Amino acid sequence: MIEWGPMTAPIHPPLSGRIFSFNAEREAIVADVVERELARKGHAEQALELAINEAALHEIARLEGGPGSDRWREIYRTLGKKALSDKEALFRSLVAEAARDIVGNFDPKVYRFATSVVPYLLSFIMKPQGPAQLPAQRLSERIQAQGETEAVRALAQKGTVILVPTHSSNLDSIVIGYALYQLGLPPFTYGAGKNLFSNFLLTYFMNNLGAYKVDRRLGYALYKDVLKAYSTVILERGYHSLFFPGGGRCRSNAIESRLKLGLVGTGLAAYINNLRANKPQPDLFVVPATLNYHLVLEAETLIDDQLQRVGRSRYIIEDDESTQAGRIWSFANQMLRLDTSMVIRFGTPLDCFGNPVGADGVSRDRRGRPVDRRTYVLRDGEPRHQPQRDAEYTRELGQVIAESYRTNTVVLVTHLVAFALYQLFQQSHPGMDVFRLLRLPEDPVFNVRTVLETIDRLRERLQRMAEHGVLVLGREVQTATSATLLDMALPIFSLYHTRPLAVREGDDVVLTDRKLLLYYHNRLTGYGLEEVVAPERVLA
Amino acid sequence: MTASTRVAVIGGGSWGTTVAGLIAANGHEVRLWMRDPGQAAQLNASRQNARYLPGVTLPPNIEATASLEDAAYGCQTLFLMVPSHSLRAIAGELGDYLDGSRILIHGIKGIEPASFKRMSQLLREETCCRQIGVMSGPNLAKEVAAGHPSATVIASRFQEVIDAGIELLKSKTFRVYGNDDVVGTELGGSLKNVLAIASGLAHGLGFGDNTMALLLTRGLTEMTRLGTSLGAHPQTFSGLSGIGDLMATCFSPLSRNYQVGFRLAKGEALEAITADLRQVAEGVRTTQTVAEYARAHGVYMPITEGVYRVLFEGFTPKEALAALLEAGRGSSEVDAPAREISIL
Repeated sequence: MIEWGPMTAPIHPPLSGRIFSFNAEREAIVADVVERELARKGHAEQALELAINEAALHEIARLEGGPGSDRWREIYRTLGKKALSDKEALFRSLVAEAARDIVGNFDPKVYRFATSVVPYLLSFIMKPQGPAQLPAQRLSERIQAQGETEAVRALAQKGTVILVPTHSSNLDSIVIGYALYQLGLPPFTYGAGKNLFSNFLLTYFMNNLGAYKVDRRLGYALYKDVLKAYSTVILERGYHSLFFPGGGRCRSNAIESRLKLGLVGTGLAAYINNLRANKPQPDLFVVPATLNYHLVLEAETLIDDQLQRVGRSRYIIEDDESTQAGRIWSFANQMLRLDTSMVIRFGTPLDCFGNPVGADGVSRDRRGRPVDRRTYVLRDGEPRHQPQRDAEYTRELGQVIAESYRTNTVVLVTHLVAFALYQLFQQSHPGMDVFRLLRLPEDPVFNVRTVLETIDRLRERLQRMAEHGVLVLGREVQTATSATLLDMALPIFSLYHTRPLAVREGDDVVLTDRKLLLYYHNRLTGYGLEEVVAPERVLA
Repeated sequence: MTASTRVAVIGGGSWGTTVAGLIAANGHEVRLWMRDPGQAAQLNASRQNARYLPGVTLPPNIEATASLEDAAYGCQTLFLMVPSHSLRAIAGELGDYLDGSRILIHGIKGIEPASFKRMSQLLREETCCRQIGVMSGPNLAKEVAAGHPSATVIASRFQEVIDAGIELLKSKTFRVYGNDDVVGTELGGSLKNVLAIASGLAHGLGFGDNTMALLLTRGLTEMTRLGTSLGAHPQTFSGLSGIGDLMATCFSPLSRNYQVGFRLAKGEALEAITADLRQVAEGVRTTQTVAEYARAHGVYMPITEGVYRVLFEGFTPKEALAALLEAGRGSSEVDAPAREISIL
């Protein structure tokens, strides 16, 4: 495990990366995307017409007569009358337009500036804002990197790395960027939702640090194809990339298991293309990572959104103000409320087929035998694309990534105590669903002894699970007594959120925000820990 | 696929030998792996598998070998036809000679005890291969070898595996279907062996067609219930690898599992029957594995439970049947797929 000192320079010597010469390749990348998309349609009139029409109809419906809709109406109206060469030219221009909208930019000067400023900035915003319940810590202690950091560094020099972390917060990409910098890795390019480009400060950095834009409103096939083609092209060209396969930020805070693998699959496409082109470094390595926060900045908004999705009509948000407040929270405001540490844990790197890869770059099967990964895509001795097969390989890779998330989840004190408290609450109302539980009028109260016994039982089970590699325990959870854990968790629960999650009143613990307790509790669901909690089932 | 390919069949029991014969009849070169070098030599000399498929002359393009390395060499597709309890060890050794381009299709109807893993999961764990499929259906080896019209299913998530299986196995008398429900196909093949023992018991006790129909239909419900809880598609159990295999096994005295049940009902001891069969009756092990899983996970499987009691808890077949008919009586439980009041 690496624990960084209080430094602004990387702990490891910085590695060079293609990203530093990105701007020189921008137009070539766009041209490459255009040619590939045209080739994929086989220059066939019907395929081109279908793609353009579908895009036009989608945009006409989306824009609802607003700015830009006339152009799409015109395209739709005149397309049938155009000659093949004009259709091809139109297709080219639409693909190029989409690619230019997506394509990132990288300014080394901005990078140098950011890497010298961001650690100070993060240090500043991570200082306790309220009463100093926690001892002031150095940034290096607040953000810990664990796991296969050495292997990631080694593999970044042997091929292209695709980092696939869990996704909790809009802070994730900043924190990961900082972690990669400290590991001496070059910046990774990543797709950021275009909505994030509304904040001018963030936009400035993202626009200049290799982020590319993903416009989720553009759901038509042509745009999605261009996005995948762009990702494939930059991976082939050796740009380390970051994808969040969970999609958006995880609403429930449970460990992500349903992954969206569209962009992850571009890794395999790039690998096959690299083999076909006989590139000297054709390999792509997929590195799962978990981001484990004591508290998540957007927790209140996220759990509200989760409950709305799950409950549909059964759950009505009673406090509209808090939802509005969630919307108007500025990103800066959210960051200033942050006051805690987090752990990034890098899992075992994988090849595109889900085999573990060591720092030596060799894939191995579960018995540790070396695997020649090229053989998965060879047909009659040649590397070939086979869409159905390749989708299946990627699906299996997704299962391995999801399993890696589970085994590399780091249990922090807030997760453990929230799980204990919420389960005590839930199990004291057997048969009651989550929506009714959240609506009960009285704040639940538990005797502190019951709480401590529950934490003890949970920790005993968690320690056994950690010994078997089922998950990982945070430092405090490994060593502190249950009383200490509770004493640590309750002040953290009071730090950021509108209301504290739970408070101590004499010999009792009062659960003051059940929704947020549910959110933090969810981190430990799926491990079968529920049975450990509370045989007493008695409200204090 | 080219006109003639080299194919490996791992396992020289009756079904493995039959599958080797089907593939060889399509003009492919087959390496048939047998654990016992003496048996392999005997087959090569006599063109017969005297122990497991006597009376059937095998084509000359089948060569038996006791070396897994020889068997795997140059083979794009390998069929694994060994008893379920041997698969993990054999696949682990075979894995030394495989790479990611190989296609593995198994025809094994069993579940690993304790882990409750299916055979395709064992192959995934013990080899580097990804393109894995299962072959299952109403395929009594002797009938297939004799050229009776039959059909089987190749299930895989990979279309290339299904295509390879169809190409290698199909013939004028043997039809091969494909599907992508590996879980359902594997479980159907495994669970029907338990019901085959139950049907043997019922026949052995002298019961007639009503009882058989009862066992089959409620047995199918039981299979489907467990299967869907593990991620299978319910419709798979209505196909060849579900009801198809169930019917063939439950009605056929050729089925080893049926024979176990029939002879138990006639008063023979289990140890004596299994020793006498010479080949593995997978249903005995599967009954134990499934019943223990169902108990632990609260899956309602009264027929499996009844067979388990006879095999492992000293119940007589009549006692088990009485308990079976009592199960759920008076309850208003409705079994969703069939909308019948459950008594079994």
